[in-house]
Amino acid sequence: MTTSRRSFIKAMALNSAALAATAIFPGISFSAWEKTDLPSGSIVWSKTPCRFCGTGCSLLVGVSGDKAVAVKGDPNSSVNKGLCCVKGYHCVQILYGNDRFKTAYVRKNGELVATPITEALDLVAQKMGESIQKTGKDSVAIYGSGQWSIPDGYTASKLFKGCIGTNNVEANARLCMASAVTGCLTSFGLDEPMGCYEDIDHADVFVTWGNNMAEMHPVLFSRMLANRKSKNHVQIIDLTTRWTRSSQAADKSILFEPQTDLAIANAICHEIIQNNWVNWEFVKNHVSFHSGKTNIGYGTQDHFSFTDEAKTEDFDAYKAFLADYTPERVEKLSKVPAEDIKYLASLFGDPDKRVTSFWTMGMNQHTRGTWINNLVYNIHLLTGKISSPGNSPFSLTGQPSACGTVREVGTLTHALPHGVVMNQKDREMAAEIWDVPVENIDPKPTYHTVEMFRALDRGDITFMWIQVTNPMVTMPNLKRYRDGAKKEGRFIVVSEIYPTPTSDVADVILPSALWVEREGFFGNSERRTQHNAQLVPKPGEAMCNTWQLIQVARRLGFERQFPWSQETYIEDIWNEYTRFHDSPKHRMAPYKLLKERSGVQWPFVNGRETKWRYNGQYDPACDGDSFDFYGKPDHRAWIWLRPYEPAAESPDTEYPFWLNTGRVLEHWHTGSMTRRIPILHKAVPESYVEINPEDAKALGVVNGSLVKIISRRGEMAMKANINGRGNPSRGQVFVPFFDENYLINEVTLDAFCPISKQPDYKKCAVKLEKV
Amino acid sequence: MEIPSRKPAKLFFLFAGICAMAIPFIVFSALSIGSQERGSQEMAAQTQDLSFDHNGGVIFSAYDDTTYAYMEGNSTARTLEYYYTLRQYPGSPPYIVHDLEDEKGQPYECLSCHGKGGFTQSMNRFTPVTPHPEQSYCRQCHVKPVTEEMFKATDWKSVMPPLLGRSALAGSPPPIAHDIQMRENCIACHVGPGTVSVLRVEHPMRGNCRQCHLPQVAAGLFTRAPQPKQQ
Repeated sequence: MTTSRRSFIKAMALNSAALAATAIFPGISFSAWEKTDLPSGSIVWSKTPCRFCGTGCSLLVGVSGDKAVAVKGDPNSSVNKGLCCVKGYHCVQILYGNDRFKTAYVRKNGELVATPITEALDLVAQKMGESIQKTGKDSVAIYGSGQWSIPDGYTASKLFKGCIGTNNVEANARLCMASAVTGCLTSFGLDEPMGCYEDIDHADVFVTWGNNMAEMHPVLFSRMLANRKSKNHVQIIDLTTRWTRSSQAADKSILFEPQTDLAIANAICHEIIQNNWVNWEFVKNHVSFHSGKTNIGYGTQDHFSFTDEAKTEDFDAYKAFLADYTPERVEKLSKVPAEDIKYLASLFGDPDKRVTSFWTMGMNQHTRGTWINNLVYNIHLLTGKISSPGNSPFSLTGQPSACGTVREVGTLTHALPHGVVMNQKDREMAAEIWDVPVENIDPKPTYHTVEMFRALDRGDITFMWIQVTNPMVTMPNLKRYRDGAKKEGRFIVVSEIYPTPTSDVADVILPSALWVEREGFFGNSERRTQHNAQLVPKPGEAMCNTWQLIQVARRLGFERQFPWSQETYIEDIWNEYTRFHDSPKHRMAPYKLLKERSGVQWPFVNGRETKWRYNGQYDPACDGDSFDFYGKPDHRAWIWLRPYEPAAESPDTEYPFWLNTGRVLEHWHTGSMTRRIPILHKAVPESYVEINPEDAKALGVVNGSLVKIISRRGEMAMKANINGRGNPSRGQVFVPFFDENYLINEVTLDAFCPISKQPDYKKCAVKLEKV
Repeated sequence: MEIPSRKPAKLFFLFAGICAMAIPFIVFSALSIGSQERGSQEMAAQTQDLSFDHNGGVIFSAYDDTTYAYMEGNSTARTLEYYYTLRQYPGSPPYIVHDLEDEKGQPYECLSCHGKGGFTQSMNRFTPVTPHPEQSYCRQCHVKPVTEEMFKATDWKSVMPPLLGRSALAGSPPPIAHDIQMRENCIACHVGPGTVSVLRVEHPMRGNCRQCHLPQVAAGLFTRAPQPKQQ
């Protein structure tokens, strides 16, 4: 041995001390966070919904002094039962990025200059008033988000639709779940899923339609895995265009060509009818058949407009319509073996199996998004597998309050908190509750999101207020809309917490308070409303988005409509807002109850939550004990005859690849929050392009090579990712969109579903070049 | 060697004294790792290559195949110190610590015990599980030392084993401290009675481990580019 005695003794001492340390603190985490002076016993835990996705996990946030210091899952929540994903566990770190906006900024001589917030609010009101005066009320617009707290969206709608009298109210949820809304409305007459997350515990078969739940809804995915593990027969079928982490866990992964989900869904129904697996009792009593227009276009031109017309059909017409969709014919189109289609049909057709379908952006960001939503409902309606435990066609949302604030409050151009602007009765109700003349509410919808940004580019809109979203990363065909926003004569107000490409184009930046720095409400995918209290103080001059809107409304002369005090305005708004939903079909829980519980589902009737709508056994709004689809005048759910139509832009010889975009587990949306959480940034520091290994070989690129992705609209060079967590099929590439340094939306196409007006971020044609 | 009874005693007291003085300091330093040290750890983590990640599905099948009873299983027999004595550097293949055949001369089939884990009567202990049972030619990497004698002395040194924990917040899930190539099956080493007790997780029922525990592939924090790249 060459070890000297001295070093031997030193090593021994070190060893025994380390041993002593582990003996004193068994299982210790030698952790790496900066310590505050406050002892661990000083933590106070309070419930709050998670800030990120639409799952709506309830968290317990630990506050010590005036800082949020820790997070754990809320065991009282039926959503997540004490579990969070990695984003949830670290979500409070978004409060403390060191480039947080703590003061307002106003652009002076081209530079953003720190300005007292009252002065900035004066300027916002002044510019808004000038725009209304000079170019009319429809030249001012607000663009919000599914991350808006419910009072934010409600206040925005009241100010713009009720007081100013313009329907220029939109939200980024148009890019995210508008097709789910129109799918629900066309099939059932009322929005939002009939089922709930408890379906996950009851289902025997899960079919995931183009969604990667392992990364996008991980807590619900865990619940699926736990259900499968606890029983022997539960199956997860992953229907996808790209091999993902969800595919790794699925019992069967079925890969299809983009856009052919329309044909596959019809082929499943064809098989169900051929094999007489139809639930005739259900279909005869609760279903009616309808068709709409076909060849409905893609909306890539300005001023595109489309209105569908429903024609009543019967079962025979439906059966004849499906004759084109034999599994063998659909195999040629979709590249899914006919036997796989038959197998899927047999799972739906088996009367002893409870089937839940999940989908998110794969079906919603689709130029036939409304249609594919209808077609999946068709399968569940033909087999009667709906509105009962474990039988659930379920559209998951991506944002914490896409349902709560956008779908329920109606922050879209055509909508009101109850009903639509086109309906006289709905306008009268809104005018009464809002205390405005009914003539104030314009009966004509104006611009949906894509058209709103086109109007900004054209100059029809001269003032736009953007809250809680980052359109300068997320708009498809981005370059046009960024150039438009920067044009002379446009005034852009951005309410934000961090610098983003959107705040880069702002004329005024208003510093926003984050969710736990203020009081509010979110509404998740399963009709669950969650209250959050203010847990920590706001930094600097940061201000709640609702309060920003109230401040500007008062400056515009609407003091009477916005009379609330800073102490109680959230409660007051809740009490006013819930008057819109005071019926057994949509009643919301009272403020006090929401404060106490970890979320309450609506319809909340006679002190009880409604888990399954349209089923008399669970839903008090139903007439009788059986199913009652009361959203439609005929009290039936509608099966739609919707054909396959190709995508707006398909690969050709010049642009031979499909480009698909989406998210990763670690980053949420545009990463403006998650990239400021160290552990998440370090796990996925930049975006990349996933390429199939065979395509990569043909192109001569290896992992990490720079590849240029070129479309007819733009190009982006980024690193290749081969055999990573996802693997696109041959002829397809996938790019996560979170990275503002690689704005992949300069490459994507602004085609949308003519019914929902939701753009398709999953399909456009590109070519690849090795750099 | 003239006074054999006194020298060890002196040595013992010296040693005990050093220990006593060192304990508070070492405990303190272990609990408050400086940013410098963290920085170097992050640099080490930067080399992680995740290009094999499409094979990550093994965790899901392991989760389904592991019984609830096994998940509950705990044993304090194996320590982290012992675990590292079987390795030459963090992540090196451990050597074989037991005989290669039973008393009757029948060769052991490695995967019959290390494939699934559980209690092994002949060894009187719980078996550690391999995270990569698909590699069936075990002894291309795992060898049995038959002598302690060296051919020549060595100056071999390697880095410190990764620190445990490193949670970003009190109680938040720690990042993955090691390379995960060939170690995609978290359950193998972190669940059940064959695990090193400080590495054992108490919530194996959560299944999809990597929804909370992430590998760390970059060192720095996010910074905005001065001008967003406009093609």
